[in-house]
Amino acid sequence: MNYALAAVLLPLLAALLALGWRRYAAWVSWGGTILSLLCAIVALQQVLSDGPQQMLLGNWPTGLAIRWQLSELTALLLLLTTVIHSLVASYSLTSLRRLQVAADFWPLSSLLQMSLSALWLSTDLFNWYVTLELLGLVAVAMVTLSGNKSVAAALRYLLLSLAGSLCYLLGVALLYGQFGVLDVAELATRMPASESHMTTFALVLMTAGLMLKGALWPLHLWLPAAHAVAPAPVSALLSALVVKGPLFILWMLWSQLATVELSHAAAGFFLFAGSMALLTGGWSALRTPYAKVMVAYSTVAQLGYALLAIGLALRSADPAFQLALWLFIIAHALAKTSAFLAVGEMQHSLGGKRVQMLKGASQTMPVAMFALAVAGGSLIGLPPSGGFLAKWQLLLPLWPEWQLWLWLLVIFLGTLLSAAYVFRLVVLAFDRADPVKPDFAPQLLPQWLALVPALLVWGLAFGSHSFVHWLGG
Amino acid sequence: MSSIVWYLWIGAGIWGIGLYGFMRGPELLRRIISLNLMGAGVFMVMVALAARTEPTDGVLHALVLTGLVVAVSATAFALALLARLLAAKP
Amino acid sequence: MSGDFWFDTILGLVLLTLALATVRAQQLAAAVMIFVVFGLILAVAWARLGAADLALAEAAIGAGLTGALLFSALARQAKAESAPVSKSSSRSSWLVLLLSLMLTGILCFSLWWVPLQPEHHLMPLALEHLANSGTEHPVTAVLLNFRAWDTLLELIVLLLALMGARLVSSPMLQTPQRWPLASQWSKRLAPLLILVAFFVLWRGATAPGGAFQAGALLAAAAVVLRLNHQLPPLHWRYGWVRLIVLSGVLAFVVAGIASALLQYQPALLIHWLEWPLWLAKPLILFIELCATLAIGLTLTLLVVGEPEELSS
Repeated sequence: MNYALAAVLLPLLAALLALGWRRYAAWVSWGGTILSLLCAIVALQQVLSDGPQQMLLGNWPTGLAIRWQLSELTALLLLLTTVIHSLVASYSLTSLRRLQVAADFWPLSSLLQMSLSALWLSTDLFNWYVTLELLGLVAVAMVTLSGNKSVAAALRYLLLSLAGSLCYLLGVALLYGQFGVLDVAELATRMPASESHMTTFALVLMTAGLMLKGALWPLHLWLPAAHAVAPAPVSALLSALVVKGPLFILWMLWSQLATVELSHAAAGFFLFAGSMALLTGGWSALRTPYAKVMVAYSTVAQLGYALLAIGLALRSADPAFQLALWLFIIAHALAKTSAFLAVGEMQHSLGGKRVQMLKGASQTMPVAMFALAVAGGSLIGLPPSGGFLAKWQLLLPLWPEWQLWLWLLVIFLGTLLSAAYVFRLVVLAFDRADPVKPDFAPQLLPQWLALVPALLVWGLAFGSHSFVHWLGG
Repeated sequence: MSSIVWYLWIGAGIWGIGLYGFMRGPELLRRIISLNLMGAGVFMVMVALAARTEPTDGVLHALVLTGLVVAVSATAFALALLARLLAAKP
Repeated sequence: MSGDFWFDTILGLVLLTLALATVRAQQLAAAVMIFVVFGLILAVAWARLGAADLALAEAAIGAGLTGALLFSALARQAKAESAPVSKSSSRSSWLVLLLSLMLTGILCFSLWWVPLQPEHHLMPLALEHLANSGTEHPVTAVLLNFRAWDTLLELIVLLLALMGARLVSSPMLQTPQRWPLASQWSKRLAPLLILVAFFVLWRGATAPGGAFQAGALLAAAAVVLRLNHQLPPLHWRYGWVRLIVLSGVLAFVVAGIASALLQYQPALLIHWLEWPLWLAKPLILFIELCATLAIGLTLTLLVVGEPEELSS
């Protein structure tokens, strides 16, 4: 637990130092991230050897204090956050000089890492509200790093995010009014026993707020504009990590607080929303003329898988669905980081925002294009990538039960759509007849760094056994 | 009907009016004000809930205070963004 | 019918009317003004519900500072968005109305079921541990001890708002020329406000008041001085400005780390933000003082910060 605490505090200290001592902002922030990565690794190791741990902040009794919980799952999410941040920070060290406001990127990125880590560890309804608000504000501030063109999308993102938080906060107020506690574990002992209209409505309000913040269908419309307009490293962080925070809280709420009947009813809605996200997101990704918007829509679609997994996990006792949910989150985070960094790199060197700029990219920028293709493979779910592992966990329990074949069909269609938009890019890239000439000489190091997360997601296959073990599958 | 329920309903009403204003707009500034109304409604509900016991629930009061500061921070940022948006328009 | 009943009824109806008027007002300027009045009446309602702390905070932060921010936004709006915005279709407007009415109805219906005598709430637990918290006022104890992590994160939220506003800062409007009467006034008003701010801060240990209310008052003093050109520019590139803005979060983190080191025992788990019993009171006072200064300066920069001040 001490190491988990360090993994939260190091980025905070780095952010403060980077703000006060601006000349070395990049190195301070990068160093904080790398150190926190080491701490997160040790924290995971400790959990695996000693079992889950908890910490009552301020050492006050349960209920009064905010409680942190370090389980296998939260340790893994903490590690994922630090890994993605380390990769993006390393990429940014090599490439951020192009951006005018580079000095402001570093403290914001460190604060983003801190707020996400705090969110994973917390088990307190109100503390989650504060971390969500923090996450939303950092995310919007980072979107505005792109300057004038980003302001409209950023404002829209901020306003919707605030409305979402207020819905969530109202739900928290209702639950506290009924039960008088904020700790999720304590609430879980009281709440399912005494279900009322009020608890149902509170959960609905919180769900609506979280879906708005997490860009889950049908409340996802702000996402493509905001994620596409941000600078490449920021888009990577937003798509890979930020939208997963609300998703995590959503899962914690429904899996722990709702009664069986209520969670079954909600599962139906999540299954429907997930299917729609998969189909509409995939279709929009296929149709858009802009490269980054396409990657952003792919996030909408991939979050659909997560919703499907939540819905199925709420309906069935089979732990495979839960495992699938977290595998999706991990695999998508790594693949999307790679995809955004690669597209950003190509956009910078080749000039232009349209998908057409990728024409002949396999010749002009082979490494970045390879990264995009490899990441795309995981998004489609080609074996043996991380995306395949997640999908396999989702499909296996569906297969024997014919009542669930509808979702099988949905997943199949979603896969076809994602294959279509990835192949659209790859086919363009191999059209070498008249390649788009780069405006700037492509840099090699950032391209290789963009490739690393994609290789990691394919490497997940080797660790699949331990993942299944850790997450209790 | 006790006055607590009355104030709870007032809070609900303010929240609902804020929600209506947020969705209706049409100006962005009005949407930002409406968000503040929504926040005021939620805080009103929390303050009324805190008044149910004697002495009043200080924990809820502290939460409202935290919420107020978060709300004013977010409003300030939103207004800065709005100003930039308007300045960028020709 | 008692006087209390009529007071509550009228207060509630006035609040609802003002909220509705804010949303429906034709002119944005009217909406902003009504909103500020609404904030002040809301503070009255909260005082009525036994929340003097919050009434003070709502008047200073919710109505005062938000009002100041909205008014300065309004001045820009007058130039840029005065052209009528295309009206949304009446059908979607009806839909929005119906949806809000429905949600409010369900909300009122669910609030009917709230237990009026709650079986369980956290206040007894807070009172039980109040003696060990280093402060005698329960709200301050929750904010700076029991749930100090929330407050630390909230200070970061405030810091972030300033960082975000810096990133997008746009040209300020010209502040009006000096006005002799206003200058004289502000010279007298500002020291008074600063004095009151520190009184509110000091009192927070035992009675309603605390860092946020004090910070807001401090900011009000600085804004008044600033608008009358009696305060030098506060440039972000000055080290001391950055230090004060960061001081709230820094004090928290330093206090947390120092406490952890003081209580460190190799075999035991570190409890983050656990103040040692004998040091709790001075630590809380130290954090509150730094937080007040940080909040005051941050809010000042948010309200009257000019781009050249904010840029590095």
